[in-house]
Amino acid sequence: MNDTIIAISTPPGYGGLGIVRLSGRKSLSISKRIFRPRRKCWRDISARTSILGDIFDSEKKEFIDEAFLAYFPAPRSYTRENVVEISCHGSPVILEEVVRLGIRAGARPAHPGEFTLRAYLGGRMDIIQAEAVNDLITAASLHQAKISLGQLRGGLSRRIELLRSQVVDLISLLEASIEFPEEGLGIPPGEAASRLEKILQAINALIASYETGRAMTEGLNLAIVGRANVGKSTLFNALLDHERAIVSPYPGTTRDYLRERIKIKGSFFHLIDMAGLERPSHPVEKDGIRRSRELASRADGILFVLDASRNESQADLGLIEKFKKKRMILVFNKADLPGRIDRSKCRAVIPTSRSIGVSALKGTNIARLKNAIWETFSAGESIHEDVILHMRQKTLFEQVSFALEDGLKRLREGHPEEICAEEVRRALPFIGQLTGEIRVDEVMTNIFSRFCVGK
Amino acid sequence: MSQKRFPAQDYDVVVVGAGHAGCEAASAAARMGFKTILITIHLETIAQMSCNPAIGGLAKGQLVREIDALGGLMGLLADETGIQFRLLNRSRGGAVQAPRAQCDKARYRMVMKKWLEDTLNLTVFQGIVTDVLVEKGKARGVKTQDGQSIHGRTVIISPGTFLNGLIHMGLQSYSAGRANEPAAVSLGKNLWRLGLKVFRLKTGTPMRLDAHTIDWDAFTPQQGDDLPVPFSFRTCHPLENKVICYFGYTNAQTHDVIRKNMDKSPLFSGLITGIGPRYCPSIEDKVIKFPQHTRHQFFLEPEGVETAEIYVNGLSSSLPYDVQVDFLKTIPGLDQAKILRPAYGIEYDAVSPTELKPSLEVDTIDNLFLAGQINGTSGYEEAAAQGIMAGINACLKIRKQDPFVLRRDEAYIGVLVDDLVTRGVEEPYRLFTSRAEYRLSLRADNADSRLIQYGRKYGLIGEGDLLAFLAKQEKIRRLFAFLQKEKRCLGNLPKISLKEWLKNPDVSLQSVLEYKKFPEPLTDEEMRHTEAEIKYEGYLRRQEKEIDRIQRLDGTKIPEGIDFQKVPGLTREIVEKLGKIRPKTIGNAKRIQGITPAAIINLGLYLKVRKKPTFHVKH
Repeated sequence: MNDTIIAISTPPGYGGLGIVRLSGRKSLSISKRIFRPRRKCWRDISARTSILGDIFDSEKKEFIDEAFLAYFPAPRSYTRENVVEISCHGSPVILEEVVRLGIRAGARPAHPGEFTLRAYLGGRMDIIQAEAVNDLITAASLHQAKISLGQLRGGLSRRIELLRSQVVDLISLLEASIEFPEEGLGIPPGEAASRLEKILQAINALIASYETGRAMTEGLNLAIVGRANVGKSTLFNALLDHERAIVSPYPGTTRDYLRERIKIKGSFFHLIDMAGLERPSHPVEKDGIRRSRELASRADGILFVLDASRNESQADLGLIEKFKKKRMILVFNKADLPGRIDRSKCRAVIPTSRSIGVSALKGTNIARLKNAIWETFSAGESIHEDVILHMRQKTLFEQVSFALEDGLKRLREGHPEEICAEEVRRALPFIGQLTGEIRVDEVMTNIFSRFCVGK
Repeated sequence: MSQKRFPAQDYDVVVVGAGHAGCEAASAAARMGFKTILITIHLETIAQMSCNPAIGGLAKGQLVREIDALGGLMGLLADETGIQFRLLNRSRGGAVQAPRAQCDKARYRMVMKKWLEDTLNLTVFQGIVTDVLVEKGKARGVKTQDGQSIHGRTVIISPGTFLNGLIHMGLQSYSAGRANEPAAVSLGKNLWRLGLKVFRLKTGTPMRLDAHTIDWDAFTPQQGDDLPVPFSFRTCHPLENKVICYFGYTNAQTHDVIRKNMDKSPLFSGLITGIGPRYCPSIEDKVIKFPQHTRHQFFLEPEGVETAEIYVNGLSSSLPYDVQVDFLKTIPGLDQAKILRPAYGIEYDAVSPTELKPSLEVDTIDNLFLAGQINGTSGYEEAAAQGIMAGINACLKIRKQDPFVLRRDEAYIGVLVDDLVTRGVEEPYRLFTSRAEYRLSLRADNADSRLIQYGRKYGLIGEGDLLAFLAKQEKIRRLFAFLQKEKRCLGNLPKISLKEWLKNPDVSLQSVLEYKKFPEPLTDEEMRHTEAEIKYEGYLRRQEKEIDRIQRLDGTKIPEGIDFQKVPGLTREIVEKLGKIRPKTIGNAKRIQGITPAAIINLGLYLKVRKKPTFHVKH
């Protein structure tokens, strides 16, 4: 931590502007050896304002580029150390030269993520915000970037902070009744249990959100489901904009499944094309169908394809019924042909789902379908802050949940407070790893601020 | 005997201050065979209970049991002089049950005085100590106000609130260690000059009332237990409740009077700079901090059997005397009450306990030990616990033996001392059961099995007491075997042992033994112990495992030449600290003030990674 580190902090490649950043005690003195201000003296430089000057190679005695330099003295900087940002022209050659000069003047090349690590260690952000910075840099989709940004702004941290304070409150109430038995403090076991339940609900929701978070980063799986020969593979190809699946007018053409990623408005989806779910006529087909059922039931959402040019069958309705618990869009395909299907009858099975008529073959309404997919399956804005993206966070929350569940169980079984407290205390180190450590002093302070203790 | 009657000037152990810490320290040192002198400002107020007339309570009761298992006096004395006994938290499990007793204050100090006078190797001496004599970084003895030098190979300072004490009543203040007793002013300055970090703390005590002027019918009585539970494992005689306590409430008028006179409070006018205990606030504190409360509870506790003085627990105050009179008038039942001693607040000097080693010896001055309130604690029990530890460690120091340090998982005493020396204090420190990580293991009912071996090792527990303990252990083992062997049917379920049955939250050992009789007679003490051990069994096993794991981690050696700068993720401050102190093990590093748990994890990981063999390719 005593080193001063240097790195190019703009993305690789050519750009209008490139920034080299230094962080550490010697940031400014190193800068002085590679940068010459034009009008001002070094003495006059004030914190957090840019000065114009030139990058200068003192060995070769030549100017490299004109540049702006801004100095952020500790602790009011990104890393809470002395930080210098040098903005010059965004050419990799120039930027690398600046870094080279910086290293010659005493800086050390930064490891990946080291600026953020320092920010974390300097107390500038908590671990969750630090993880979010990393996610933001490597975000795969716009949505993920938004979630990361939300976490960086402290959205998830705030939520964890709230959970933490609820746990502190609960422990305080349990402990108060134990420590001050003559003063009638604390809460009855029933209320402790209902508080525990509430906390557990919030934690379990966060644990569940990990799946959503994972889906956002990797993309949701959407299964294209329907009877044979309704045009699932044609639809698959139409959504992909290129021929991927083999299509034929014959039912049962697709025996295995295909999975491809598409991007709609910045979100990724994995489309899964699979065999029609129908009574098999061939052993190979049978296997394919079994696999399809599995895939469909594991998918995050379903595009249910029906042939609009034929009458709906019991098999169609039965299949919709089977997957009605999933988020689903009813796709009435072959809309270019004369319609014979009773759409309202199909919709009646699953009234909350959207439905849309398309012609996969002609490409009619495919854009609308894409839009519908995004609206139906993309998490949208509603959950952008309350999603956990990291396995580490999820595991910690699970540990917290286990401990609290045990506490709740003991309470319900009628064990005394100190046993329940024992279980709840087990959660504390894990909460400590998610956010600040919970120490006895904090619990005590909480008790004294809530209760008038004092015999 | 002659040395006892005519104090010579050379001692092994010099103890300054005969409060709850000093008495335990001096008694332990003398009984360990060292020539000891106990110097007090006033011989009549040895072991005076300066504030409430009670010993014990949550965590404190456990402490008294631990002091007792080590061979200390407090438990025996509380049993001897107790006038009302209660076991708190009876409705909860054994870990949070704690004995508490109202004691006869006058008898408490007289019996202690007699015991100390009867102790071999111990001289009790009246004087005011002004200086600790220090030569070449080593304490050599003390100097008194009348010019005597008393030499000692070790010195224990336990001055309580007497260290530069300043009493406040309203806007008046005067120098005193306790009402109408002189403070030790010079000693405070002396410690400061010796380079110790001295800071200011504050506490207070309520008024004492004349029992004859209280209308007792206005209050709710609180009886002692039918079957009193003694503090000491060594108390054999039955205990008797001799008094009744009462409780009542303040009201809106009381609070009005207090609010109107707040400008006369030294606390709120800024006269008092010391920090007071939050768990023991004055009545004006409560009124200001909890304006939504329309009443506050208080307790009326007799100070003894042969006195009419009543201690008003909960109404401590540093408001002027006339305001105290006025607000008492608003409380039905106390409207005619006469104040015998007014309430007051007191500020005193304490030394930052982070300057101490875990043995309670001052880090920078050899042979000088501090115990009690001077280390920032409050409470008789906390003081006594430090006293006995300082007493034992002063002797071990003379013997050049390893200090006696209890771990956090072994005893509340361990928690107390560790909290003090590693974390320091900001307000008067009181022990709570929640401060113990292993609360279910640190119980009043098993203090003897945890600590009696140490008491015996240091010669403070007699052979007879040890034998009695071993016999009790044997009997409990037989009871365990019995409960494991005997089975019972519950409805259609398969048979379970009585032990399993007892693990149900609503089943008591009493009811189990009513179902099937154990052939030997059992004391309540043995029943409580067995019940707790069985009810907590699963938790105790889990804690044992964790303790084991932590001890192994704590034992991880830190190589001598290690460069802490190379450990990733340590702040400069921590690197400097580790570099300066150079801890030998992870456990030592953990106990250094300001070392964070995160730093310990980083250090542990670094040591682990370092240990892995590296492969070199030889050319």
